[in-house]
Amino acid sequence: MASNQSNCDVSSQQEPNQLRKKRRKSTQTTESHLQNDGTGEAKNQPTVRWRTCTARRIYSSKLLEALRRSRRTTSPRGEKTREVRETADRVLAVAARGKTRWSRAILAKRARLLRVKKVKKPKVGCDRMLQESEKRKKLPAVERKVKVLSRLVPGCRKVSFLNLLEEASDYIAALEMQVKVMTTLSEILAVAGGGAGVGGGSSS
Amino acid sequence: MDLTTGSGPELDETGLDSLQLGEDIRHLIAAPSENASSFTALLELPANQAVELLHSDSGRKQYPNLTFPSNTALLERAAIFSVFHSSNSADSSSVPSNSSSKSLEKGSAVKCEQLETETYLDSCQPLVSDPTVDNSAPNARPSSKRKEREKKVKAASKKSKSESSQQEEEKLPYVHVRARRGQATDSHSLAERARREKINQRMKLLQELVPGCNKISGTALVLDEIINHVQSLQRHVEFLSMRLAAVNPGMDFNVDSLLAAESGSLIDSNFPNMVMPLMWPEAQVNGNRHQFQQHWQFDSLQQPVWGREEDSHNFITPENSHLSYDSSANSASLHSNQLKMEGRMKLHQ
Repeated sequence: MASNQSNCDVSSQQEPNQLRKKRRKSTQTTESHLQNDGTGEAKNQPTVRWRTCTARRIYSSKLLEALRRSRRTTSPRGEKTREVRETADRVLAVAARGKTRWSRAILAKRARLLRVKKVKKPKVGCDRMLQESEKRKKLPAVERKVKVLSRLVPGCRKVSFLNLLEEASDYIAALEMQVKVMTTLSEILAVAGGGAGVGGGSSS
Repeated sequence: MDLTTGSGPELDETGLDSLQLGEDIRHLIAAPSENASSFTALLELPANQAVELLHSDSGRKQYPNLTFPSNTALLERAAIFSVFHSSNSADSSSVPSNSSSKSLEKGSAVKCEQLETETYLDSCQPLVSDPTVDNSAPNARPSSKRKEREKKVKAASKKSKSESSQQEEEKLPYVHVRARRGQATDSHSLAERARREKINQRMKLLQELVPGCNKISGTALVLDEIINHVQSLQRHVEFLSMRLAAVNPGMDFNVDSLLAAESGSLIDSNFPNMVMPLMWPEAQVNGNRHQFQQHWQFDSLQQPVWGREEDSHNFITPENSHLSYDSSANSASLHSNQLKMEGRMKLHQ
């Protein structure tokens, strides 16, 4: 990771665009070299996909665009947090390029919302479920945790254990990248906004 | 002939061949090689023959290590034997691995490892498969053997129960795996084993992603950790989105510097630490780096100068709204005084 970042620093500061692409490739190959299965699937590994400089750059730029757009269009009174989070999630799903189940589920949520308004039907089998919980039907511990995990990862409720693990690993890598980008973005915006604002006020 | 007496009754028609086989075996014993796999040439014979031979060897302690190199002539003969005893081949082809395991358990004097049997099976498989397929063995047999091999390849990557096999594996050219002692080799268990291997691979990958999971053993606890990690990441995202929503009014300006600073930022390396205390050094570093980055951005993004100045004028308007958010970004207000100079420099550029 450290070497990856130092490469990024070097590339962003010193070299023009063409060499920057080469550097990016070299960082990617070093990463894939570490993770190579020998099957040529190195680049598809979640740790490689979501940790490249390129991915972060793409995500950050898209996020800024999306946030600016959402700022202009709507501004609900008390729900800015949720809106920002959903925007961030959607941009993350777009960055995944539709190869994973959770990304498609996130995008589908929005599409479904726009098409049809959510009508919350009461669950039909509700009584039965209560009775079963009263009987204390204890699934094996691992299966219970698998269920919890499947609820956490979007769009993975009825997915086999094997695929669930794969989706979870990709999702975790993507979430880590999202957190990093949003952290830096919020810090920069806060700092830049604060410094520039005060500087502008004092200079005028 | 010692070795052929046991096989005599079954091989009446091939008596000559069996004699020659015995001769070859003796010849090969005299010149031992490191490839200790040809003992299993005998296993291509029907199962009962192999067992007899093994039992006959149990009394003989002369060559505890039957090391027969994989001779092509021997392979052919083994193939021929399996052809001739096609009536038994249905049993023998699927059973040899099991019988070898069981018989090895019985015949303690014979030191040949299980691996040798499998290696021989694997090495002579291409030769044997044709006659067996042609004659009577159903197609399922060689394919199940091949599947066995494939599954076993993955199973051997786990810790094997016989330590010597690991040494053998490193010497031999093929990547061999085998069923551990007493394990079933039917297709269901093989498929299950493959599935379990896949699951273990993916669990390992997840363990690498989630920090602190490497030391934990056991699926349930690892899953616990994974769930906790996902929940903490999601909560982090929620918290950050709240901060971003607060900061948002100051969004309309100088995106280029933001992008550049973010992409090459040192903040990534400080990610695991708490966000708040880091604002101090990072802010100052960012201020210094703005100068470098703006030159670079100008070249790469070709932003006209007037555009930038226009953006800088916008600083005044969000200023008030931003200062009102100090409660949510306390450290930013602390730094705002520190950054007065840097902010002015930025404006003038």
